[in-house]
Amino acid sequence: MTEGTDVSCRSAAGAKADRRIAWWLVWAYPPRFRREVGLGLVDAIEDRMRARREAGASALGARVPAILDTMRNAPAEWMATLRATLGVRLKPGTTGDGNPPHEMSGFSRTSGGRTVIDKLMQDVRYALRLWKRRPGFALVALLTLALGVGANTAMFSIVNAVLLRPLPYAHADRLVVVWGRQPGNPRSLMAYREYDALRAQNHTFDELSVFLGQSVNLTGVSEPQRLLGNFITGSLFDVLSLKPERGRLFTDAESQPGRAKTVVVISHDFWERTFNKDDGAIGATLTLNGNPLTVVGVLATPFDSRTVPADGFFLGYDVYIPAGLFPVPGGLTNAGPSMLMAGRMKSGVTLSAARADFDVITKRLEISDPKSQAGRSTNLELAHETLVGDSRTGLMLLLSAVGAVLLIACVNVSNLLLARAVDRQREIALRAALGASRLAVTRQMLVEAGLLAAVSAGVGLLLGRWSLQALTWLRPPNVPIPAEIALDQSVLLFTAGIAIVVAVLCGLAPALRTSRPDVSRVLQTGFRRGSGTGGRTRDVLVVAETALSVALLAVSGLIVQSMMALQHVNVGFDTANVFTLQFRLPPAKYPKPEDIARFFKQTIERVQAVPGVQSVALVRRVPFSGNWGDTPFVVEGRTAAAGSEPRAGQNMISPDYFRAMRIPLLRGRDFTDRDDLQSPPVVVVNQTLARTIWPDDDAVGKHIKVPESPEWLTVIGVVGDAKHRTATEPALPQLYLAHYQVPLIFSSLVARTAVPPMSIANDVRRAIWSVDKDQPVWSVASLDDIVARSHGSARFLASLLAIFSGVALALAASGIYGVMSYSVTERTHEIGIRLALGASAGRVLREVVGRGLALTAVALMIGLAAAAGLGRLARGVLFGVTPGDPATLAAAAGLLALVSLAACYIPARRAARVDPVVALAEE
Amino acid sequence: MPLRSVEFHVLLALAAEERHGYGLLQEVAALTGGELQLEPGTLYRALHRMLKDGWVAESARRPAADLDDKRRRYYRLTPAGRRAASAEAERLWRLVTVARAHRLLSRA
Repeated sequence: MTEGTDVSCRSAAGAKADRRIAWWLVWAYPPRFRREVGLGLVDAIEDRMRARREAGASALGARVPAILDTMRNAPAEWMATLRATLGVRLKPGTTGDGNPPHEMSGFSRTSGGRTVIDKLMQDVRYALRLWKRRPGFALVALLTLALGVGANTAMFSIVNAVLLRPLPYAHADRLVVVWGRQPGNPRSLMAYREYDALRAQNHTFDELSVFLGQSVNLTGVSEPQRLLGNFITGSLFDVLSLKPERGRLFTDAESQPGRAKTVVVISHDFWERTFNKDDGAIGATLTLNGNPLTVVGVLATPFDSRTVPADGFFLGYDVYIPAGLFPVPGGLTNAGPSMLMAGRMKSGVTLSAARADFDVITKRLEISDPKSQAGRSTNLELAHETLVGDSRTGLMLLLSAVGAVLLIACVNVSNLLLARAVDRQREIALRAALGASRLAVTRQMLVEAGLLAAVSAGVGLLLGRWSLQALTWLRPPNVPIPAEIALDQSVLLFTAGIAIVVAVLCGLAPALRTSRPDVSRVLQTGFRRGSGTGGRTRDVLVVAETALSVALLAVSGLIVQSMMALQHVNVGFDTANVFTLQFRLPPAKYPKPEDIARFFKQTIERVQAVPGVQSVALVRRVPFSGNWGDTPFVVEGRTAAAGSEPRAGQNMISPDYFRAMRIPLLRGRDFTDRDDLQSPPVVVVNQTLARTIWPDDDAVGKHIKVPESPEWLTVIGVVGDAKHRTATEPALPQLYLAHYQVPLIFSSLVARTAVPPMSIANDVRRAIWSVDKDQPVWSVASLDDIVARSHGSARFLASLLAIFSGVALALAASGIYGVMSYSVTERTHEIGIRLALGASAGRVLREVVGRGLALTAVALMIGLAAAAGLGRLARGVLFGVTPGDPATLAAAAGLLALVSLAACYIPARRAARVDPVVALAEE
Repeated sequence: MPLRSVEFHVLLALAAEERHGYGLLQEVAALTGGELQLEPGTLYRALHRMLKDGWVAESARRPAADLDDKRRRYYRLTPAGRRAASAEAERLWRLVTVARAHRLLSRA
């Protein structure tokens, strides 16, 4: 093919596209116009585009003017058509946009000569004139509403990104996470042999896989590094429909335990960071956990992980390693539950069908292998639920809170508009009596409310985007809010919907009010303002906003109390001045338990020598660090059916752990250096375990057995209970094994310090590197921080709710004050007469305050009922306080009553000081 | 009543002969020495208005077959359109006369 034909081919395709574009553009015009001259216009647009191309313009350069032309002319043609249909044209042949006679909107006596559009435009201009005349009013109303809209936009953006948007994987609606279910734990890990059986026997899944994220050590490079590794079966790539960006992914066969290939797939980020995006990475060798692995491919990232909750859960790792290489003693096939499982259901299969399918298989497993499978079944949930399910209650609470703030803002603005409408009532009634259309007045109110809503929605959208930025910065690490939240169509639609709601809420009360003025009554009241007009509507509005804010205040009170209860929970150990870090020894370098034990002992000795360290110990799982494990155990002299053995949280610790953590030793003794691989195995239990297993007896000297140990373990001590996973967990049985007797490659170091804990970080690192210069360490943190971080989401929720209810309270206070102060002004004349006739100032004061408090009392009852309902919804995030906690409800009600008293008192005092002479002179 | 500029130009462009849409765009550009580059939308809105007012009409005739692209629609001036155009031309002429009297026009 010559170049010339190529060009003509391309331009032929371009011409075809031009014609299509011309057709689309003409579609923007009104139907009648299209019928009459549409074809000609299509031709002309196309001809013009061709001429521009022939003159050397690019495709874009030819098309943009055509689009701009349509954007200018199509709406103008629509307006012309609307004018022609809706109204009489002023002057044939012109658009009639000459200057309409200057007149007050809403009081035109003739509808002829002006179209609906003209009238609306005039209403808009009139509203703008009003705002200009009272800029304070406009600013307050706009700002109040914009803040409300902004908070809602920001909160909805988060709810949308976390709860509503599907995960960005292909067939995300069929992605399922499979947990092991066993007595007392509905979310345990899965064993590899369970995966084998489920994968072979199920009928409901396209593909199943197991995986587990775990840190791996990268050595053989300038500095030892800890990487985020994900040990996976090759099938995980199929479950998630992932593709390589370079090279290949590994298959299920290559990841099988016993036959696993020494290959690794790296992430795009790691490729960029370590290999500078060099294709030479494929075939390179990475020494991970001491094993040389060949890089076979780079995983193509299917999405920007910053925009996805929890990094998309499955991804966000540096390296993907065959599951068969997972470091577990005895190999993965023989290991107990140690992996996470995920699968993709077949198209059309429901979650309940998949559950039924799995139940049959696990039942079969239980029969064939009662020893390890007794009591175990599976628990299937949609992957999206696993990721975000826990944050649903909190987010929905926050969304309701900002919704309430917006409603209160609407009520306030509605009140302002209503007050103004009532001010104008005489004028309106007079006009109406002279024949003006009442509809016109109502329409003007609605147009103004609509304009307020539109402007505040625009400003609110901007405010929302900014505050969203702040919210994502403040978000705690354990909440799955993505770092970057895009403004998508649903958010825009939501904000538009909010704007409509705002317009209706703000405009409705004043519009209803003015649409039915009682002409004769209003005129009879003479030239002062009709007393009591609009009063009932305003009362309803005040009650509504007070009720809303008391409900919000009560719920926030409950949440704040939960958070405070959380922080004052006795976790069972002293978190102050404890330094912690984690490490994982490479199994290739430490093949024997003795090697590990030697590393442990030397590390403890060296760190002990660091200045400022009081006591130091190793612990496999630092409390609140997220690492956790439990185990069934057998009590000597008792029989329990397989699967129904007692269970306890399990930890491995070195001597001095209890001292470093300040966990009290209640009976017996602590481990010593002599409790090692050569001596009889021993165990320390906590108070709860001792009490539940040997209620009437001394636990010390008793024997138990755990699956890991073939021998009986002798209980040598009883210690106080310590929380492990959350501050909210009840006291659970817990057993501690001697780390020197069960030396495992993963462990953590805790050191009690006499100095600020983080100040010794570098010395501790150097001490560990003096034992093994290649050993990476991570999660370097103080215990205080670790525990505080676990309260992050509670604090996030509590502080946001506190802010929102504070705003709601301020808005409600200003609303009540506004209404009270207005009604006093309105009644100045009446009050003046009564004072002149001898009423005491005290009585006037009591009356005004009393009326306000009566309204408040009604509002408090409604609000407290709502709060009790909301509290029940919030039950999942409450701790240490009941949903209907009387003290909290009473405090919220009391606070609001006080605020409302203050808001009523100021206008009431003004009323009592009315000078009868001045008030009557107004007549 | 002054005539809109776009419409007057279109009427002028049609004065000599019938033209199709794109032809009109080119002629208007030529008439004004390239100063007025109408876009198709603007042109067709004017045409649509003048069709309704009966100033222009679609032409049944087509020029010689070899010059013609079958799909094109040609427009012609109606007598009413011709009257409107000449009324506007008269009006402009009177204005030009006044302008000249006040020495606003350099040319004779």
